[in-house]
Amino acid sequence: MKATGEELSFHRRILARNDPIAFAELADTLYASLVQQVCKRAGVHADQTLVEEAVGQALLDYHDRPGSYNPERASLRSYLVMAAHRDFLNAAAKERRAQAHQVSLFELTSQGRDIVNEREEVESHAQAGELLAMIDEIFPDAKERRIVTLILNKVQSHTPYVQVLGIAHLPIEEQRKQVQLVKNRLTRRMRRRLSGM
Amino acid sequence: MSDFVPSLDRLALLARARPDLLAGSLARYQEQEGLSDSQLAARLGCEVEALARLALCERPRPAPYFAGDAERIAGYIHADLKGLVQVLRAIEVREALSGSVDAKRAAGPTLLAARDYDEDEADGEDQGISATGDADEPENG
Repeated sequence: MKATGEELSFHRRILARNDPIAFAELADTLYASLVQQVCKRAGVHADQTLVEEAVGQALLDYHDRPGSYNPERASLRSYLVMAAHRDFLNAAAKERRAQAHQVSLFELTSQGRDIVNEREEVESHAQAGELLAMIDEIFPDAKERRIVTLILNKVQSHTPYVQVLGIAHLPIEEQRKQVQLVKNRLTRRMRRRLSGM
Repeated sequence: MSDFVPSLDRLALLARARPDLLAGSLARYQEQEGLSDSQLAARLGCEVEALARLALCERPRPAPYFAGDAERIAGYIHADLKGLVQVLRAIEVREALSGSVDAKRAAGPTLLAARDYDEDEADGEDQGISATGDADEPENG
């Protein structure tokens, strides 16, 4: 199905780059329904934060490169749903790979300090699956879980943390500071929980 | 899923990384001025709910299009035009002073003019116009 009349009008305005409200109007019109459509495709257990991020990125990528969409081939809505769903699947697969890695509590460090000292005691308490369940319980917020997963996988670069926290607009030094504050806070919470075992 | 309500605010947050949209500049302005969403909306003369839509608008183009673009944006989010223009101008000045990428993009035509002037001076030297006159000509002998 080709682009509808309304979609074609939006597309031409965005291509022309002479109407400052064209993209905002398009987003306002389509965003909520796009998220709901992609949620439906992704299934009931889909992480809704990931779905929304994927839809947002698909819309913004279309804004940056509207020439990538061909209105003769498909409606704009179906083009954006397909792009967002593809991005969501990639993001969800990445998240699953990160969570599936076996981790040791001794790898959970912050600035080189070990959180847990008694290896035998910890290993007697948790297998990896139990550890992941524990993380789900300690960190009900999806963003915090993603940060903890990055810490557990010893991701040193601060870019993934910045993306999860949504602070790319801040100066680099402020980004680093915010990332470290969040890492410290989550690590302290984990330490407190483990010391209560 | 029935409780989940998609919010344009989340899209506006992602849009901060796009320099062509107002989201990033507006967020920096808000932080520098220490304004809450309500205070920023009051300054713009619009509803708080309109801020996400404003963030997704394109940055107004330089003159002679600036006034028309600002008016279009003000009409779209039902803001006070004067308040909006004051905020947009303040953002421009701050970015120009900080030498940000956005400011350089906005200052594009001015930089091109400066480069042309330098090339004209260089062309003058290449045509052999110098203070030493015939000093480099070979001697007849």
